[in-house]
Amino acid sequence: MKKNNIEGWLFVSPLVIWISLVILVPIYIAFELSLFNIKIIGTTGKYVGFDNYIKLFGKSKFITASLNSLYWVIGNAICQTFFAFTIALTINYKFPGKKIMANWIILSFIIPTVVVVVIWKLMLSSSSGVINSILIDLKILDEATGFFSSPNKAFISLVLINSWRWSPFLALIILSGLNSINREMYDASKVDGANFVQQFFFITFPNLKSVLFVLGLVGTLLSFNIFDIIWLITKGGPSSATTTLPLLIYETAFTKFRISQAATLSIITSFLLLLFSIIFIKSMAPKEDD
Amino acid sequence: MIKENNIKFIFLTISVLLIILIFFFPFFWIITSSFKSPEEIIATSTTIIPRSFTLEHYNKILFSSDFFIYLKNSLIVSLSSMIISIILSLSAAYGLHKLKFYGNKFVEYSLLVTYAFPGVILLVPIYLLFAKINILNSYFALIIVNVLFATPFAVWMLKAFFKLIPNEIEEAAYIDGASRYVVISRIVVPLAAPGIASVSIFCFIISWTEYLFASILISGDNLKTLPVGLASIVGQYQIDWGFLLSGAVLASLPVILLFIFIGKYFVSGLTEGAIK
Repeated sequence: MKKNNIEGWLFVSPLVIWISLVILVPIYIAFELSLFNIKIIGTTGKYVGFDNYIKLFGKSKFITASLNSLYWVIGNAICQTFFAFTIALTINYKFPGKKIMANWIILSFIIPTVVVVVIWKLMLSSSSGVINSILIDLKILDEATGFFSSPNKAFISLVLINSWRWSPFLALIILSGLNSINREMYDASKVDGANFVQQFFFITFPNLKSVLFVLGLVGTLLSFNIFDIIWLITKGGPSSATTTLPLLIYETAFTKFRISQAATLSIITSFLLLLFSIIFIKSMAPKEDD
Repeated sequence: MIKENNIKFIFLTISVLLIILIFFFPFFWIITSSFKSPEEIIATSTTIIPRSFTLEHYNKILFSSDFFIYLKNSLIVSLSSMIISIILSLSAAYGLHKLKFYGNKFVEYSLLVTYAFPGVILLVPIYLLFAKINILNSYFALIIVNVLFATPFAVWMLKAFFKLIPNEIEEAAYIDGASRYVVISRIVVPLAAPGIASVSIFCFIISWTEYLFASILISGDNLKTLPVGLASIVGQYQIDWGFLLSGAVLASLPVILLFIFIGKYFVSGLTEGAIK
């Protein structure tokens, strides 16, 4: 197809300009801030060069938060892949009520995050939560447990809650990939004697490449960025166990009032995410065939 | 053969039941709980079937709280963000889909990567920037960031819908002498209408559920959105559960209503349109 430079850029430029302004100008401001030692918003500080960056790598809080973020992304990826594939493969079959389920499964994604928080704070409450009383009735637990009281339990509970919110949405996107797979491939494989596990690994999974590429990239970045669910439930605790990088940035800026430090964290985090994205795109981008 | 079908049937039944339990039961639970008496909500022994029924929580939230102010703010911000997002992403998606130009792949991938930058990373600098240009505490501040969050995925979805429109229809129109503008407004947009509807819902939801920026960029009570209003109750030491639950149900109601009418386009759009 012939190139259509001017017209093409004319169509994309309004959005490109909007996004660039709202991302690049703040990034520039953050970079500038990171070279000073400004504490409370509105005050001035002195120029310290790259001091903030050097100090940051020695801070145990930064290391802990980076590791928490890593575990968070991996935990969510595993959980969400499992839930999303289960939902997508289930809805892909025929059963009574399938249409209703397909339309409404996404309910957990369309409600405000704050409502997700309310739902799970009530259901997982240690004193009157329905999950506790169900687990006790089933004799899985002897007595009510606090799902957010110990570091590990809090972390796992949050991963599950966040996956609960996102999996149905991801499931629908996987479903779109499933729908685009040629039915005849399944029939042909059946003739060759493949069972449904083999079909999944040899037909379904490879054919979802472009879907999985986008989900892998966007999904990772989106779960990395999760802030509100964690903040509203545990505030990063107990003992910083659920403080991921986004929470650390927020805390540094708005509860500890160290603006320059927060800006330094933002710059380093953006850099890491950008690096991840470039490597991911370079190594995983599916070949274009359209 | 029969054996494999049996295994499939068992798997299917188990997963359908689990999905209902995990993804639908919580909604049944908070909706019924919002009609329970305060004592029953916090009772240590829980029963699945409610024992009490009261409208006191809804009474309280509708007639003696700022609910309607928050609702109005959320509606204004979400609708404006949605309209602007749709216009910008329609144009960009069409450009990326139809017009091969220098740098189009770069723009496309940058849009995906844009997901890396939103969120808390931009929070501090955007706060300072908005303070400098004096738009803190305004709807506009929220609209600017919501559009940023909604458009990258919106473009990606719209592009997928455009791919479903047969090229021949557009070609025929050009041969008949139609201009680009006419082709877009009379052919592309109407044919992609279900897609545009689903992308609109997506943009609306993104803005409707946004909490972080709304909580930092807005400090005036009269401009707060619903999620921020609700979150302030969540943070209280002694949570008034009935009040909170009825608020949560009411805050979800608008998106659910919207979804009843155009939800099927959203779901079929997502499942049939994307990535072909």
